[in-house]
Amino acid sequence: MELCRIEAVALRMSLQDRGRAGWGRYGVPPSGSMDDHAAEWANRLLDNPPKAPVLEILGPGARLRFLRDTWIAVAGAKGKWPAWRATQMHANEVFDMREIEAGLWSYVAVKDGFDCGVWLDSASVYPRAGFGELLRAGDVLSRKPMSDLALPAGVSARVAPWTEQRDYSKPPALRVWHGPQWDLFSEEQRQRFFAQAWTVSPQSDRVGYRLSGEALAHQTGELLSEPVIPGTIQVPDNGQPIVTMRDGPTVGGYAKLGVLDERDISWLAQVQPGRQVRFVLADEA
Amino acid sequence: MNWVPYGSKGLLYRFAVKVGDEAFAKGCAIAAELQRNPPPGLIEFVPAFTTVLVRFQEEEQAAATRADLLQRFERIGNVAPPPGKLTEIPVVYSGVDLERVAESHQLTTREVIEIHSATIYKVYMLGFSPGFPYLGDLDARLHTSRLASPRTRVPAGSVAIGGEHTGIYSVEGPGGWNIIGHTSVKLFDPAKQGAEMFLLRQGDCVRFVPAIE
Repeated sequence: MELCRIEAVALRMSLQDRGRAGWGRYGVPPSGSMDDHAAEWANRLLDNPPKAPVLEILGPGARLRFLRDTWIAVAGAKGKWPAWRATQMHANEVFDMREIEAGLWSYVAVKDGFDCGVWLDSASVYPRAGFGELLRAGDVLSRKPMSDLALPAGVSARVAPWTEQRDYSKPPALRVWHGPQWDLFSEEQRQRFFAQAWTVSPQSDRVGYRLSGEALAHQTGELLSEPVIPGTIQVPDNGQPIVTMRDGPTVGGYAKLGVLDERDISWLAQVQPGRQVRFVLADEA
Repeated sequence: MNWVPYGSKGLLYRFAVKVGDEAFAKGCAIAAELQRNPPPGLIEFVPAFTTVLVRFQEEEQAAATRADLLQRFERIGNVAPPPGKLTEIPVVYSGVDLERVAESHQLTTREVIEIHSATIYKVYMLGFSPGFPYLGDLDARLHTSRLASPRTRVPAGSVAIGGEHTGIYSVEGPGGWNIIGHTSVKLFDPAKQGAEMFLLRQGDCVRFVPAIE
């Protein structure tokens, strides 16, 4: 059932869900919503199951024209549109997402989820493997045909509690666990990692977030490739850490200083390039 | 200590210090053990050359099962290499880097082809991209450093050498290995279902067969 047409695209738009965990040994990254906290709230506001696919939107500029009456819920980046709440859209009405004030990624959920392709038990689009494609202007998104058109009871009053509506301009110190090569970094180098504020580089994407700051040194030499998961913090020879994100490779050969706590990947995801973030050792957080 | 924590819900077990038959056999035996008797709460395990990552749903499960799991791994000891499935892959050896690889080792391109296709390779792991096999052990005469700056687009099916390993690009994308040839065999097919998408898996063997265009 056709639900909305994309009239204008943002920097990157694709359907995502909670990802396809368990295929790492075949070289397939988990993918899934960069900010799983916001995506989960978008679904929760409509009583959708947590694994329902949502529309992930990077940056401002998206314009969605609805083709029929429906309820949607939007969460994530802060812009000039209603977020962290359920919103009623009427046929022919446009949801316009201009100008972002904080954060990067937004999530749009529709009642019961979008009707879309599934690869290895997940709707998360990962174009590199041919698991779907990025959305373009003119594309039409559909809702599951079996959907009940009745509105979920009380949905109009649905707003995420303010404690759950994150202010992405003020991320907390992100929790980091020891990585496999923790011991190959000196005490001084580890302190350097935790003491400074790291700037998120513009060369960051769904594969990895690059951090820039005072370089870290290590004595690891050449390493054999070892498994990598979203959140793994690798330090290449230039000393500037790279945090693996949802579409990142499943193995990597750089020194792995730490692993970002999986609950904090969503916070890092929303840090805009040029802005700063700090880390804290997880057992001390 | 032969294991380290990997985040709050995982551990990385080191079962060998260097690549080779022993590491390969042990990696396969550990994967088989995890498949036969998965510990409670296992999300996945990801084998690599000399290590395996084991991930759990919950922190408590990781902690509760760790001692038993490590004991099981230790008991595996030195096992004979399993009879891995052998896949023959026809290769047209005309890659853009073939001549440079030959020159850098004072070999002719024909010698590179002979050496490269003489080994039965072990699939140590899949990684980097869906279905990409890391193959060893590559004859030391062909060890070639990766490109200083990776190419932005390497076609699927490219047969390449990266350091001490050889592999096959399973999907189109960026890559820094030296391309010596090309195969029309599909390493990864998203149109298939589940694990059938992947031609090879860890523990398999591969032989390259020189082919003409």
